[in-house]
Order: sequence, then C-alpha cells, then structure tokens
Amino acid sequence: MKDSDRKLYRAKIVDDYVRGRMSRRSFLRNASALGLGAGVLGTGMMRPTPTFAQNALEPSKEVLDWVREVSKPFSGTTLRLATESTPPSNAINSQLKKYFEEASGMTVEIETLPLEQVLQKLTLDIASQLGTYDLYYIDQSWAASVSRDVFDPREQIANNPDLAMPNYNIDDFMPALVDGIAKYEDRWVGVPYDIPIFIMQYRKDIYDKMGFGAPETLEEYYEQAKAITDENGPNLYGATGQMKSGHYSLECDWTAWLWGHGGSIFGPDGKFTGNDERGLEAMEYWTRLAQTMPPGVNGWTWDGEGQSVAQGVAASMMSWGEFFPYFDDPSATKVSGLMAAARCPKPKNPLRTVTETGYGEIPGVGHQGGSSLAVSRNSKNPDAAWIFMQWATCYDTQVLITALGGGTGPTRDSVYNDERIKANARVGAGTTRHLDVVRETIALDMGSEPDLPQWAELSNDTIPVRLGKYFAGEYASAKEAMDDIAQAVDKVVSG
Amino acid sequence: MMVRSKSSRMVRTIVGWAVVALFAFPLYYWMTVAFKEGNEIFNWPPKVWSFTPTIKNFEEVFGISFGFGFGEQREVLPGGGNFRMGPRLWDSIVIAILSTALAITIATLASYALSRMNFRGRHHFVSWVLSTRMMPPVAVAIPIFFIYKDIGLLDTYTGVILIHALMNLPLAVLLMKSFFDDIPGEIDESALVDGASRWLIFRRIVLPMVKGGIAATAVLCFIFSWTEFLFVLTLTQTGLKTVPVVSSTFVTSTGTAWGSMAALGAAAMIPAFIFILLVQKHLVRGLTLGSVKQ
Amino acid sequence: MKLGVLSPDRPFIWMLPLIAILIAFTIIPLFYNIWLSFHEYAPFKRALEPVGLKNWSLLLSDERMWEALGTTILYFVVVLTAEVVLGMGIALLLDTEEFGFGFLRTVLTLTLVVPPAIVGMMYLLIEDPEFGVLTYVLDAAGLLDKATPILSTASTALWGVMLADIWQWTPFMVLIFLAGLRSLPPEPYEAAMLDGASAVMTFRRITLPLLNKVIAVAILIRGIDVFRMFDYVFVMTSGGPGTSTYTLSLYAWQQTFSFIKWGYGATLSLFTLAIILIVANLFIYIAKVRW
Repeated sequence: MKDSDRKLYRAKIVDDYVRGRMSRRSFLRNASALGLGAGVLGTGMMRPTPTFAQNALEPSKEVLDWVREVSKPFSGTTLRLATESTPPSNAINSQLKKYFEEASGMTVEIETLPLEQVLQKLTLDIASQLGTYDLYYIDQSWAASVSRDVFDPREQIANNPDLAMPNYNIDDFMPALVDGIAKYEDRWVGVPYDIPIFIMQYRKDIYDKMGFGAPETLEEYYEQAKAITDENGPNLYGATGQMKSGHYSLECDWTAWLWGHGGSIFGPDGKFTGNDERGLEAMEYWTRLAQTMPPGVNGWTWDGEGQSVAQGVAASMMSWGEFFPYFDDPSATKVSGLMAAARCPKPKNPLRTVTETGYGEIPGVGHQGGSSLAVSRNSKNPDAAWIFMQWATCYDTQVLITALGGGTGPTRDSVYNDERIKANARVGAGTTRHLDVVRETIALDMGSEPDLPQWAELSNDTIPVRLGKYFAGEYASAKEAMDDIAQAVDKVVSG
Repeated sequence: MMVRSKSSRMVRTIVGWAVVALFAFPLYYWMTVAFKEGNEIFNWPPKVWSFTPTIKNFEEVFGISFGFGFGEQREVLPGGGNFRMGPRLWDSIVIAILSTALAITIATLASYALSRMNFRGRHHFVSWVLSTRMMPPVAVAIPIFFIYKDIGLLDTYTGVILIHALMNLPLAVLLMKSFFDDIPGEIDESALVDGASRWLIFRRIVLPMVKGGIAATAVLCFIFSWTEFLFVLTLTQTGLKTVPVVSSTFVTSTGTAWGSMAALGAAAMIPAFIFILLVQKHLVRGLTLGSVKQ
Repeated sequence: MKLGVLSPDRPFIWMLPLIAILIAFTIIPLFYNIWLSFHEYAPFKRALEPVGLKNWSLLLSDERMWEALGTTILYFVVVLTAEVVLGMGIALLLDTEEFGFGFLRTVLTLTLVVPPAIVGMMYLLIEDPEFGVLTYVLDAAGLLDKATPILSTASTALWGVMLADIWQWTPFMVLIFLAGLRSLPPEPYEAAMLDGASAVMTFRRITLPLLNKVIAVAILIRGIDVFRMFDYVFVMTSGGPGTSTYTLSLYAWQQTFSFIKWGYGATLSLFTLAIILIVANLFIYIAKVRW
C-alpha cells in the first residue's frame, strides 16, 4: 500500500468508527493492520473529521418543493416499479424514496429482483397489458422489444409542460449513454438510469511488485496476467472472468474481446460475423487469456468474478466498474484500498464503426450494461409515474444515489463534477475514486450491443450456451464453435 | 425385534450420529455464513469453526437499524443494505397456515368419503387426484396468472393461498385417506345402525380419532407451502412475497449478499421447525401413505 | 330426506370442494395449455397467433429437447435410486428407541424446511470452485482437484446438482420408511429370530416384502416431483455448462419466460406431463398400487 493510500484509508476507518459505522472490534483490527498504535486512539483522533458536512447529503428543498407542488392531484396514488437489485435502485428503495413519498403523498413500491426475473415480470405485464407496473426498468438488451410500450420522455416534456421539472435538463444525460442505452431507432426508450461498464480494475500492490503498470494493450494485459499466474498460481491468478455457460455474462465478456480485436457481432447485412478472421483472432486471444484465470471461472457470473478479486484470488478484472466501491469495503473484501482503476487496454485492431456493423451495434472494449427507466404505456397513472421518474433521475437525486449508493456510475455528466461526489473519492465502502475512469470510458471506449427484438434470446442462450460448450471442450476448434454459433444466430434472426 | 449385543449398539449409535451429522453439516455451515462478515465467507481453506461472529446480517435483514436519522444511516453497501424482511416472514406464515388449513379441510372431507364409501371408479378417482400433481409448475403458472388477472386475485393472499392449497391437495388426500383407513369401518357402521347421521359420525367419532394424522398431514402441507418458489414468483408483485422468492433480492448486480441471504434463510427455518417439533410424534407414525393396511 | 346425489350418505357431496378446486385449477390450465400449444405469441402484435402443428413438429425435431429429456431421465433415475436406498438404510439405522435417536430423527427433518431455491444457493456456496467446503474436502482427499470445478465441468455438473436434491429429500424418504417400519407386525420377526435368521436375511425375506407397498408409494410420490425438478438447476447451473444440465422443466421455463415462446413452452410442458402420466400409471399397474 502506498503511503498516501494508507493515509486515506486510515482517515476513512477513523471516520467510520467515529460515525458509528464500524464496531470497536473491527476498528481496532483494521487499525492495527495499518500499524496504528494505541496512541492514535487518544482524544485528538476521536474528533470527527467528516469528509463532507452531514446535512449536505439531504435532498434539495427546491426539488422537494416542486414535487409537493405538482403532486397535489396525485396524492394517495401508489406507483410500482420492478427493477434489478442495482445500487441506484437499492439507494432509492431503502433511503431516498421516503422523501419523495412524504412530499408527494404517493406511495412507491419497488420490487427488487435478479435481472432475469425482472424480464419475466416485464414480459408478463406487457403481454397482459395489465399495467401493474407504472415504470419499467429496461436493460439495454431489451430496449428494442419494449420500445413501443413506454413513453418517450421528450414527448412527455413537450406534451405536459405543467408537470415538467424545472431545470430537469434532459440534455445533461451523457450523449453516448442516450445512444447506447435509451435510443431505439428514433425513439427514446426512457432515460439512462444506471451504467455498469467494463473498466480495468487491478491490484495496485501486485502490479507494483511485479513492476507492471496498467496494461496499455490487450497483448500486454495477457503477458501480465500470464506472468502473475505463472509465478503465484494456484493461490493467485492474473485475470478472471464471468464465463458461466449459458449466462448473459459470458456473452458480455465475449463481446469485449471480440470488439477489442476489431470484430463485430453482426455485419451490415445483418449476418453474424463473429466467425470471421477478426472474430477468430479474438477467440484465440480469449482462449489464451482464460488459461491465466482461476479454473472456476467457467461457473461464475459477475458474482463469482467479483468475489474472486474481492477475496484476493485474482489480481485483475476487466469488468463492471460497479464492483469497484465494493472492493474498497473492508468488511466485505480483503482488497480494500489495494485496487486501482484504469481505462480498458487499447483495441488490437481498429474498431469497426457503426456502419460496418448491424442493428446499431457500437464496438468498443468498454462493454456497457446500462439500463433505462421509463413510464409504461399500460400505467393507469402515467402522469404521477412521470413525476416520480423525473425525481428519480434528476441531478439532485443522482448525486445522492451516487454518494450513498456505492459510487455507481451516474448517467448525467454534471453529477461527476459535484463536490459531494468528489468528496467521496477516498478509500472505503462506497468510494467514488474510480468515477473519473468510468466517465472517460463512457466517452471514449464504450461498446454497445446491437438492438433487435431477438437479442434477448441470442444474448441469453444461443451465444452463451455454445460459448460455454466451447470452453467445456465440446468443439474441436474455435472455428467450429463460431461457425456453429453463426448458423444458430442466423436461424434465430431469420425467425 | 432382535436382541443386540452391546458392541453392535455402540456401532449403531456411532454410525447414526455420524450420518445425521453429515446431513446437518451443510445447515450448520449455512448458519455460520449468517453470522459472518463478507470477508470471512470466502476463504481457502473455508472457515468452518473459527470466525468472528457478528449479528450485522440480521440487523440489516430485519431493519433493526431502522429509525436512525438520514445523516447517520449506513451507506447502501453494494450487494447489501436494509431490506426489512420482517413483513415478508409474516406473509410466509399467513400463507402457509391458511393454505394448510384450507387443504386439510378439503382433503379431510373428501378422503373420509373415499375411505368409507364404495363407489365405482374410486381407484381411478384417486389416481386422477394424484395426477393433478404431475403438471410442470410452469404450465400451471401462466394460465393461472391470466385467470387471476381477470378475477382480481393477482398479488393477493387469497390467490396464493388457493394455489398452494391446490398444490398440496393430492398428497393431503392420500395421507388423510390412509389415516381414515386405519380406523376400523365397524365403528361407523354400528353408529349408523344406531341411527346417527354420517355427518355426526364424522364429526364426533372419526375426526377425533385422526387428530394425529391431521397433524402429520398439516406439517407436510405447511412445509411445501413454506418452500414453494415458482407460483409465488409469478403470481405476486409488490403486495406480498414469501421467503424463498424474496431471498433472490439478495442476488444483486454487484454480487450476492450471502450473509443477508443466509440470515434470512436461518430465521425462516425457525417457524417451520417449531411446527415440525409440535407434531414430531405423529409425523413418524403416520407417513405410510395408506399403503400398509388394505 | 330426499337429497339424492347430494345426500351425506353418498360420496359426491363430501368430495365436492375437492372436485371444484381441482377442476378450476388443473382442468382449465390443461385445456388452456392444449390450446396454447397450437398457438404462438407474436411479439410485434402483442397477441397469440394460431400456428397449427408447428410447435409439435418442432418438439420432435428439437435436439435440445431430446438432450434435456435424456438429462432428466438420468437425473430421475440416479436421484430417485439414491434417495430410496439411502432413505431405507437410514430408516433402518434410526428405527430404535435407544437414547438420542429421537433427537437424531428430528434433526434430520430440518433439511425439509429449507426452501429448495435457498438449498440451491447453499450448495452453490458449498461447491464453489475457489472457496467451497466440498471443493476443499475433495481436494484434500485427492479425489477432485481445484482444476476441475464441480458445477462448471460438463461431466460433473449434474452430479453436483443431484447432491443438493439427495441431501434435501433423503430425510423425507426416511420419514416415510420409518412410518412403514413402525407399522409392521412383530410376529414374523419373532419367528425369524427363533429360526436364527441373519439380519440381512430378515430384511430381505420379511421387511422388504412387507414394506413393498410403502416403497412403491414413496417412489411414486417422490418420482413425480423429481421428474419435474426445477429449482435446483435453475439456481445452481441454469442448465450449463453448455447444455449439460438442462432438464425439461428448465427448458420449458426458459422458452416461456426468457424467449416468450408461450406456445412452445406449453407444448414442452404437455409433453412432460404425458411422460409422467404414462410412466406413473405403468408403475401403478406393475407395482399393483391400490388406493
């Protein structure tokens, strides 16, 4: 641990202890691990030194006054939302929604579920036109299939100026995210709500010891991973992954390597191109890289992948930046304060452009898995839902979510500059010290999956089941596997 | 039974304890997870005996930290946070108890008739009752979803109670019939001759004699309702949720909150286990499913 | 009183609530599924469209379905056999009133109160490739090293799932068999003891024949559930690696909810139902189960 990191970390745990977030026992344990003698527990250190004023983390009065004003006709309404259990949804559900409910007189019921169960709920709601859910949480991979069932927020603002939040500033959402998450053809399928995105996260201590810097190229990344695994395996591996067969996460990893080698999923004619020369180059690279990962990687989704880094089994992961604040949590992981974030390595071959791909696919090493929030057309209270949606995605709420909710990536550009966010850029749970990297990645490296109604099936089954078979050794070669995928994908797409 | 030597009794005791310990171990391990902080759950070698216990997970799951002001409240930790599962435990209890009561009532009435009254096709009727358990749950869930949507039972206690009762009926009918079969038919007949009505015989004479059987059947119905996943998942929204479904809340986009999930799982075992303890005696005696006596 | 079929002396009135609820909740879904199997959900129209026999012909030519059927059968045979054999063994072991055995029987029933979905998560943790207890034990015993993760190796994944099922449901079989053992008449045993028959002989010649009905019904009841098993694979492997742990139930679930192919999902479910019906009735006939 570098000295400056150590200081930051020490300040953080003292802060936690003083504010009652850490038990005396774990404080003492952590303190002694950092070489803090008993002397520092003297009166001088006991004074709270919060990184930000407590009252700064309360919702702005202005916003709540607006909610109070426009919600009058809707008092007593109940709004429902089914969402994946993500940091923003958890922050709203457990801490922030009470302010909204108090001001508006509405009740907000949020159902937090694993991703595939959200899709199931949403599908049933759409198919039955039931309108149980007033708001939909829409993963970017479903945007195409849901686009006709939700309101376009721009139309909502135009058609209902009385209910539009002043200074909502819809143009503040990062353009890359609007393109990659919210837009399908010409419509906005809601507004960008959260943005998990691939960044390079690595163990600074191990990389320093090995004399490595953050990898610049994919090949360098492989060399580093191999060196670490060769020297430390099976106790420590250089890389890790989310490669559970038949799971969406495996498809996510694949696209990152595919795009990083200048390949793409589809060509402009709408045919699968993962089996072309660049696609096979990517497979050759990925197969080599997988050798440097823990053997259990084939059974892990992001859950196991994150755990392998958190518990010190893997020294790096090119994956969801959302995990970074978790890694810094000393009660949950063994790597608090040891992680560093960097942009993903540069692509090996030039990235394809949108015109060289199909269905709006945007190649980029930084795979994004964002989602949008939208008001359902089946809702019985679309206006009330629209008020909630504006509140949930406005500047002020996003700052609070980010400061409280574990430093998830905000979707509004201005939030990254907020003082309260910057103040949280210290080591410890809920850190925001990786957010500059996230912001750069969104602007420069972001890759987005194609938008087509069959994508849910392709990305959750057709592709990852066969990739899983490949890594289980059921194909003779990568070429055979990719040709098989090509044939299967084209069959699904043509219906 | 056979007289056994002291040494063979010894062996039996040792083997018995060893086998049960093997079955109990995964539960013990799961309990330790409920009392561990995140960084103690994942270790090589795994920490089985020595770790620093904490009740943090229980605090988080049951929202004991509820009531702090906003400023002092915990950050929403990735993969964790305050979920306040108390009401969900209550949902589970209400649904399990009421669906059990419903299933037992219906099954007792029907199986009394099946046991005491001969009619053509009785054997086929019982087979048909059993066959209603053969449909894959997915295939039942979708049509029921649409029916419930039309009659307003979606996301209600009534809806879930009905479907859980249905799911338990085949087993309950088989079991209850076996308990009635164990009681000699002569008792009913002599009462009939004395001029008592069927209903009176059922209520005053036969029913008190199968109390133990009802208890054994009830505990199985309770357990099946308590642990059911797919129907509750499909037929509820925000109004209510039982423990198995709400556990999946802990599978988040930033990892699984194993400690919280284990804490909820551990707490949820208690009501069901109490129920088992109450009827333990009848459970072991009664589960022959009517197949010994003819 | 002239109540005819509604008289309390006739069975109908007693069974009326049962018949009503079974018709409402099983006959209607059954016909709905049959109807559904000739239709398919058209996402663009947000409506069901008739497709004739397409789903049924797809079913027969679908390799994934046949593979899932094979997996289901393997799972069914192994799990059911293990649960019956282990269940019987443990029931014999625990069938005594010696000190402590009542406690042991109680502890054993604990596995039944944990929801299968949570048992899946539990075994996910126990079989974790890096931190799992079972992984550790197998590794230390030299049986399976860490380079062969149980749940993500095609040849071992299904066994990993079976373990969870066997762990949870063997105690259920123990309970049933214990109840059976308790209800046996003492006379044949006394005779056997006088003849000096060995324990194995007594079991084979007396216990097994007397218990065969109990065993048959236990197999029937548990077998139906094992064949439709869903929760464990859903939570533990989602069918992977590759397609090596796809069961029919999981495949039907996936078609229905992930791909919104309600028609094909219904077809798969009906096919599953048909198999269970045929096998179960054959079993009832062969094992001479009478109610």
